[in-house]
Amino acid sequence: MTEPDRNSNKQANETHVDEMTLLLYVERQLDREAAQGVSLHTQTCTRCLTLLRALDRESRLLTRSMLEQDEPLPARLAEFHEKVKRNMQWIWGVVFGLAVMGVYALYTGYVEPWERQFAEAGFGSTNLLSLVVFQGAFWKGWQSMFSLFEVLAVMCMAGFGLFAFRRYLRRGSALAVLFASFGLMMAVATPASATEFRKGDNVNVKKGEVIKGDIFLTGEHVRIDGDVEGDVFAFAHQVDVSGHINGDLICFAQAVRVNGVIDGNVRTGANNVTITGTVERNVMTWSETLNLDASGKIGRSLTAGGETLTLDGKIGRDFLGFADSTTISGLIGGSVRERGKSLSIVSGAEIDGKTAFKGQREPNVASDAKLASPLEFTREEHRRAERTGGYYLWQVIWAAAYVLFGLVLFSLMPKFSQEAAANTEHLGASAGLGILVGAGFPIGALLACITVVGLFVGISGFFLWYASLYFAQIIVGAAVGAWIMGRTDEFWPEIGRMIVGLLLLRVVMMVPYVGAWIKFVVVVWGIGAISLALYRRLQPTMAPNIPPAPMAPLGSPLPPNTTVGGI
Amino acid sequence: MSAPGKTEPTEVIARARTGDTQAWGELYREFAPAIFRFCRRAMPTREDAEDATMEIFMKLRDKLIQYDQTRSFTAWLYKVAANHCWDMLRRKKARHDKDMDDVDDVALECPEPNQLEKLIEERTSEEVRKALDTLGMRARMALVMRYYSDMSYDEIADALGVRRQFVGVVLLRARHELRQAMGENSALAVGGTR
Repeated sequence: MTEPDRNSNKQANETHVDEMTLLLYVERQLDREAAQGVSLHTQTCTRCLTLLRALDRESRLLTRSMLEQDEPLPARLAEFHEKVKRNMQWIWGVVFGLAVMGVYALYTGYVEPWERQFAEAGFGSTNLLSLVVFQGAFWKGWQSMFSLFEVLAVMCMAGFGLFAFRRYLRRGSALAVLFASFGLMMAVATPASATEFRKGDNVNVKKGEVIKGDIFLTGEHVRIDGDVEGDVFAFAHQVDVSGHINGDLICFAQAVRVNGVIDGNVRTGANNVTITGTVERNVMTWSETLNLDASGKIGRSLTAGGETLTLDGKIGRDFLGFADSTTISGLIGGSVRERGKSLSIVSGAEIDGKTAFKGQREPNVASDAKLASPLEFTREEHRRAERTGGYYLWQVIWAAAYVLFGLVLFSLMPKFSQEAAANTEHLGASAGLGILVGAGFPIGALLACITVVGLFVGISGFFLWYASLYFAQIIVGAAVGAWIMGRTDEFWPEIGRMIVGLLLLRVVMMVPYVGAWIKFVVVVWGIGAISLALYRRLQPTMAPNIPPAPMAPLGSPLPPNTTVGGI
Repeated sequence: MSAPGKTEPTEVIARARTGDTQAWGELYREFAPAIFRFCRRAMPTREDAEDATMEIFMKLRDKLIQYDQTRSFTAWLYKVAANHCWDMLRRKKARHDKDMDDVDDVALECPEPNQLEKLIEERTSEEVRKALDTLGMRARMALVMRYYSDMSYDEIADALGVRRQFVGVVLLRARHELRQAMGENSALAVGGTR
């Protein structure tokens, strides 16, 4: 029977039941009489029976395919966020608008002056974006140090991007894009030239030898007597440079001596640094003692921090110092800015720019020293200076920055943030892990850098560790807020508690002397809680007595009534 | 429609109706995965499914007080979900189906039974889902309502705004579309013998 008379009853083999009728039969939508007719027909008609079975199987296949859990519940749906959704449109606009204003204010008021200072010291970035994104900062020594502002700037940019493309980029893909972007930023900065690695007790680049490209040297004693046409990265007990380096010298050592010529910059972390040769560009060093010999020459600026700085040689441009004791007897072509306990400008010294000293004692200036302008001295008065209006303004800005950072983190990782905040209740585990991770992570990252193989991992590790210092405070703030105001599962109330707790912590941290210790405890505690959350995330879920996960489709329907009696 | 074999959390529902946020949270966690999967099957993109899920639960929260506790909560839930998804699709003007007026005028060719069996046997769940994604909105919606949430013909008719008699036709047409998508080159795609 081919006509669409669904309730008709036909004899087997004369004609067949149409597909529509069979489907209605499978679906139990036929009346009793028509269903009996189809049943009788299919007992003798193989073709219709086969089609009936096929339709039934098709129903089951459809149900099975649809019920199958092929993708998990998106993170943003893990909890019910009514207000988030309702306010999403304008809240995010306001948040990121404020973020941009905040970042701009921070940048112009705080970052830019420092950036200018850095530019003078040879880290010539033109703006924050280029500093972060375009200069391959990860591979250029200390320039790679991310500040909170940079992190915020990147997050804001990412946030804007995610907001703009939120229809297309949801949780998983958005994070993938974010991490891929970071990966790309790091990847594009890979040095293009060939890099050589040498290690051993005594490592040297012999006289007459020419290294084309960068070189990494690790050992007890590193000597460079030959030529290096690239950057030198050295990690050793002692580093001697008598030859010629075409690029930069970046080293960590007990003692560093520069007798030869370096065309680029010198950046060191060392115990003793002695420069008797020539550095054509800038020097930045953090060392116990720095001695710029009378024969030594720095083409551009010197930025130094340490205990004792002795500057007998020539500095082409500015000098920025942070040292207990500084003695200047050479020539400085630019300005001098020094902060420390004492400054002596002795006979024979010449400073062509402005000289400013901020310290505890009045500087000694020899009568025959040549200063382009009168020395500006500011006596440092600890503690009192911190409590000016500007100090409190900055505290407010910092608090706002923390709140914004927390908002971003709680939005991006709501479950993880909740777990981390909850883990603060495990005091012992959090404190223990906090000390272990807080201290161990940077050491591990440093080791990864030193062993060269893990440079990427090491620098990324530093970055993560640095970000976690801030994240830790937010987590503890959220926990404190929850203790004060009670727990909640909802997003905005949780954010409110985080803000209250965070502000309270910031206030407590401002208490002289004690505040710094409280901050230390908070950071350790928070890092521990984050580490614990991470650790638990990485553990396989296998406990037999744990009730079914909330993701289980308890509300899922069962397959429909498609079974046909007798078939 | 009901969810046979499942005991509905009546106590939690009752508490949620009184405004207990914790109970509502429990209810959400229990049913959100199923509703999201329903929306995922019914809506064209994952983003739409996420939005729809969130909006459905917002609607449910407001309407919870109207829920008749003597009836199945799951059935009511899917009805709200289906109505919302269909409304969303209509608002988006994303339906590509033909108008319902002519559906009963179009004859459907009956497939060759053995070929249909073979096709069903060879297709995996994933292939079915992919094929489902290519269907017109009405066809997909009808299949999802029927075979995912086990809605009755009356409920489907109500949600799609068609007469009950046409629901079978809509479902059969949807199956034909699906078979065509599953086996583009198969003889089944164009129907077999009558």
